[in-house]
Amino acid sequence: MIQSGNQAILHGALEAGANYLSAYPITPSSDIIAEYVKQTAGDDQYDFLQTEDEIAAIHSAIGASLAGRKSFTPTSGPGFSLMQEGLGLGFAYHIPLVLINVQRQGPSTGMPTLFSQDTLLQTQYGTHGDHMALTFYPNSVQECFDVTISAFNAACESSSPVMLLSDAYLARMHENVKFANQQLIAQFPFERFGNGTRHFTGLTNDNGRPDTKNPETFKKWMKYLTGSIIETAKKYELYDYLPNSASETLIISFGSISRAINQWKNEFALFRPVRIFPLLKQQLAEVEQEYKNIVVVEGNYGQYRDVVAAALHREIKSVPVVGGEINPEEIYQQIKQAIN
Amino acid sequence: MSYNFKKDIKPIWCPGCGLHIIYRAMIKTFKNFGWTNKDVAVISGIGCTGRGAGYFNLDTAHTTHGRSLCVAEGLKLGNPDLNVVVLSGDGDLFGIGGNHLLHVARRNTNITVICNSNKIYGMTGGQMSPETPKGAVTATTPKGAPYNPIHSQKIVTANDDYFYGRASITDMKQMQEILTEAINWQGFSFVNVQSICPTNYGRRAGFKNASEMMQVLDERITKQTNPEILEENQLGFVHS
Repeated sequence: MIQSGNQAILHGALEAGANYLSAYPITPSSDIIAEYVKQTAGDDQYDFLQTEDEIAAIHSAIGASLAGRKSFTPTSGPGFSLMQEGLGLGFAYHIPLVLINVQRQGPSTGMPTLFSQDTLLQTQYGTHGDHMALTFYPNSVQECFDVTISAFNAACESSSPVMLLSDAYLARMHENVKFANQQLIAQFPFERFGNGTRHFTGLTNDNGRPDTKNPETFKKWMKYLTGSIIETAKKYELYDYLPNSASETLIISFGSISRAINQWKNEFALFRPVRIFPLLKQQLAEVEQEYKNIVVVEGNYGQYRDVVAAALHREIKSVPVVGGEINPEEIYQQIKQAIN
Repeated sequence: MSYNFKKDIKPIWCPGCGLHIIYRAMIKTFKNFGWTNKDVAVISGIGCTGRGAGYFNLDTAHTTHGRSLCVAEGLKLGNPDLNVVVLSGDGDLFGIGGNHLLHVARRNTNITVICNSNKIYGMTGGQMSPETPKGAVTATTPKGAPYNPIHSQKIVTANDDYFYGRASITDMKQMQEILTEAINWQGFSFVNVQSICPTNYGRRAGFKNASEMMQVLDERITKQTNPEILEENQLGFVHS
């Protein structure tokens, strides 16, 4: 059937067992909310709360997660910024939750209906606290469905918030899609609230007991919080690599831009991370020596380029695609300029 | 079962703090309902009061500053069988969390909110809070607070559906009665408990000790005389 990226994300979420959505409307993520309301109408195993703002949306999803519900919240742009506080709490609580960020061109209100990839590093460093965040970024409507299921599974397996990135073009792109799931659906990781004497706190703690002055407790806590994320990431090494022995150049791209890049697969080698964080360092390290040039084409001024360059210890060229437009001719010229 | 203190978690509250009395009244009220840890969960925000949730031997959550109502609402919608009780301070509920109070109250979500109205940001060192009385000397208002305090009763009762109670740490028995009514109320219920912070309010305001603060508090308040009307200086409750 023909569906949009946003519709496919919602259907993937339902397939994965999502049954609680709290959200504040913001373009271009809003039709995920409308689709949820439409698809779950009249079925009381699903709950929906339209909150007063994005801060409430993510905290409400956290509360529902404590109640054992597979919860999620979609947002965009400034909404993603408002959710950073709650995201930090979600990591500290060590509870599953999926945050869908449909990227639009910022800063501030920016270009609300247009494409961007300007929140890549915000997924990793946006909230206070020093931790990593599993982040996925599909590039087709079919992948929106499949990867959303992976995101919910990974959230339950790591018992942590997981981020699913999309963008304004992918959100509204309509393609043929099969809503047929191939993955096992992960179980919720703990018994729901209302049966124990557990304490969930954002304070540094040892199994719920606050201990706010002890460096060793902090290190142990961080190891506990990130350990499951590192382990779960190993299960989701999702990427596409199209080698090209005739080319000296490897292009790295993801999301909507990678759709435009794909037309040059005979001219360049192409690498497309789907699990974009933690970085697929080993996979990149295995192929990078075969190419004289590596170019990251991304919808910002070089965020992913910097991450890749730091990981591979070599020069990586950047082609920024900014201002909300993906213009293949311009991108091609810029790639040529970058490698000459 | 005993709701008292989780194993290994010790309270940080100062001697003379009003929270000890609110905590005791909550435990007695839960006992009277005959609840077990399957029936009730306590959620709190940040600050001295925010630490409170962790002291109940139940499933509890200490959230971020001002967001206790949002987490509590998600928990209640996620598990409607659970009685969800929020314990937080006036800075948390009316200041940083003010927007959430407006909307969770309007949505009439079936939770009970207990405010420790100590009229100060205690844990951060005694700064003016939304309920600090005009003229009060605090760490941030050495010449006296320039603003009138927030009228939480008017905010909550502005809704079509409401339950608003005012209790005091100087009358624990009545506090229990009001908490019981609030918990029995089907919908959003709010109890503003007049409380004291001897360490970070009382010192600057010139009080010698906690008992003097309680005495002055007790003189300021009186019992409700008409069940339809709750004046600013009265203890009791009104509902829609």
